[in-house]
Amino acid sequence: MNRNQDKTPLPPPLNLSGWRNLPLVLMVIGAGLSLAGLAVNREEFGYSWLLAFMCYLTLALGALVLVMIHHLTDAGWSVATRRVCEHIAALLFPWLALLFVPVILLATHIYRWLTLNPASDRALSAKWPLFTMPGFCIASAMFFGIWWLLTSRLRSWSLKQDETGDALCTRKMRFHSGWGILAFAATVTLAPILWMKSLEYQWSSTIYGLYMFAACGWTALATVYLVAALLQRQRILTDVLHGNQFYFLGVMFFAFTLLHAYFDFAQYFVVWNGNIPDETFWYLIREHGSWWWICMLLIFGHFFAPFILLLPARAKVTFKIVLPLCIWAWLMDFTDMAFNILPASGLNRGGYPFHWLWLQFGCVAFMGGLLARVFLKNFSSHAPYPKRDPRLHEAMGVNVEPDEMADTIPMREESL
Amino acid sequence: MSKQTYGLVAEFDSPGTVLQAAEKARDAGYRRWDVFSPFPIHGMDKVMGMGNSYVGWFAFIFGAGAFIGTMGLIWFCNDYDYPILIGGKPMFSAPMSFVPSYILLVLGAAVGAFVGMIALNQLPRHHHPLFGSKRFGLASRDKFFLAIGANDPKFSEMEVRKFLEDIGGAHIELVEDND
Repeated sequence: MNRNQDKTPLPPPLNLSGWRNLPLVLMVIGAGLSLAGLAVNREEFGYSWLLAFMCYLTLALGALVLVMIHHLTDAGWSVATRRVCEHIAALLFPWLALLFVPVILLATHIYRWLTLNPASDRALSAKWPLFTMPGFCIASAMFFGIWWLLTSRLRSWSLKQDETGDALCTRKMRFHSGWGILAFAATVTLAPILWMKSLEYQWSSTIYGLYMFAACGWTALATVYLVAALLQRQRILTDVLHGNQFYFLGVMFFAFTLLHAYFDFAQYFVVWNGNIPDETFWYLIREHGSWWWICMLLIFGHFFAPFILLLPARAKVTFKIVLPLCIWAWLMDFTDMAFNILPASGLNRGGYPFHWLWLQFGCVAFMGGLLARVFLKNFSSHAPYPKRDPRLHEAMGVNVEPDEMADTIPMREESL
Repeated sequence: MSKQTYGLVAEFDSPGTVLQAAEKARDAGYRRWDVFSPFPIHGMDKVMGMGNSYVGWFAFIFGAGAFIGTMGLIWFCNDYDYPILIGGKPMFSAPMSFVPSYILLVLGAAVGAFVGMIALNQLPRHHHPLFGSKRFGLASRDKFFLAIGANDPKFSEMEVRKFLEDIGGAHIELVEDND
C-alpha cells in the first residue's frame, strides 16, 4: 500500500568509509574497559558480561526465527531481507558460543546456586541435576549445538542456491525450519531460563520463554529494519526492496511491541494476583530505589512510546519515525535485559548500578564490535540477497505470469 | 418526486481496462466518480487516490473510551461509591482493573470499527440509484463499471458520454435518481 520511495527519490548513498574502523575501535575500547572491570570486580564483570551477551543473543535468536518463519510460511516478500537475517543468526555459532565461555569461567561468581549445597535448599534440589556445574555446561553445549546445526544448515543451503538456483535448496531449508521451529521453541525457553532466570533460582514463571521470544523478535525486527533501510540507501538492496517490505517489517515490529508488553504484563499480573512470597520477591526487588524508575522506563519506553508512534499505518514506513525507534529498541532491549539480570546480584539491590555503566558499555562495545566485524565480513563475501531464490520476483514486485497463461491473464502491473 | 440525474455509468470487460479507464478519468480531472468490480483490483485504490480509511479512528476512539470507562466504573464502584475492605486488599488497583478494561477495549474497538464502517458507507439504505441500471447487476458477476456522478463539477452529459466512449466503455447508460 505505501511505497514511500516511489514518491520521493532515494537520497544519495551515505559515505560510510569513515565508519569502517568503528567495529575495531569499539572492540579495543570495549576490551580495555572489560579487562579493567574484570580486574576490579569479578562479580560485576560477570553480570555485565552476561547482560551484554543476552542482548546479542536475543538479536541472533530473533533473526533465526525470522528466517524460519520465512521458510515455513513460504513467504515471498521477506526474500529481500533474508540474507541479512541468516548472517545475524549465524553469529550464534561459533561467535556467541565463544563469548559465552567467560560466563562459564565466572559461573561461580554469577550463579549463586553453584556455591550452595542442593541438599540444604529445596528450590535447588528440585532442579537437580540441571542446576549443577556439569548440568549447566552440558545443557549450554546442547543449546549451542542445536543453534549451530540450524543456522549452518539454513545458511549453507541458502548460499548453495545462489550457485545452483535449485528449488531443492528451498525444500531443504523448509525441512530444517520444520524441526528447527520446535527446537527453537525449546531452546529459546530453556536457554534464558538456565542463563538468566536461574540467577534467582527460587523464582518461577511459566511465561518466561514466551517473554524472551518476544524480546528476540522485537530486537531482531528493529535491527533488520535499520539494516534494510541502510542497504537500500546504499543502493545494495534497492532492486529487491519493493516498499511493501518496510511496511511489513514495520507491522511486525509493531506486533512484537504489543506481544512483548502482553507477555510482560501477563507475567506481572499472575505474580501479583497469586501473591505468593516465593514469586512476588522477584518484583519486590525490582521496585527498590532506582529500579522503580527502570520499571517505568520499560512500561513507557518499551511499550507505550513505540506503540503510539507506530500506530498509524503511515508511520510504519516513515523512516524519520521508525529508524530512531529501532535504535531506541536496542536501548530498551538492553534495559529489559538489565532489569532481568542485574537486580539478582546482591550488589545491585538498591538500584541500577549506574557507577558500573562504563563496564556494561565496555562489554556491549566489545561484543558489538566483534560481532559487527564478523557480520560485515560474512555479508560482503556473499550476495546481499538470495539472488536465485524462486520467490525473488515476488519480493521485487514483478508480476511473472506462468508462460502457458500469458494470453489469458490481462496485464495489470505495468501501471503500478 | 422529481427525477434527477445520478450520473453516467459505463461497462468494461476486464480489471485491466477498467484500471486504465480509471487512470484516464483521474487525469481528465473528474472528482466524483467511482469504480465497481466483483473483486478488489490491485492498485485501484492508488489510482483513485484513496487514502487510509477513517475506520481506524472509530476503533481507536471507541476502544479508548471503553478502556477509560471501564477503569472509571471499577474505580467508582469499588473505591468511591461503595468501598468494601476485603482481605486488606487495596480498594482500587491498576493491574487488577487492567484486564477487564482491556477486554472491553477490544470489544469497544470492534464495535467502533463496525459502527464506523457502517456510518462511513452511509448504510443501511434500501436502494441505490445505480440499481436502476439493468446491466449493473453484472458488477457482482463478471463486469466492471465506472460511474461519473452528476454532482461532479465538470459533469455535462454530452461530454461525459463522449469521454466514456473514448476510454473504451460499453453500454453507457444514464442513471436517474428517483428519490
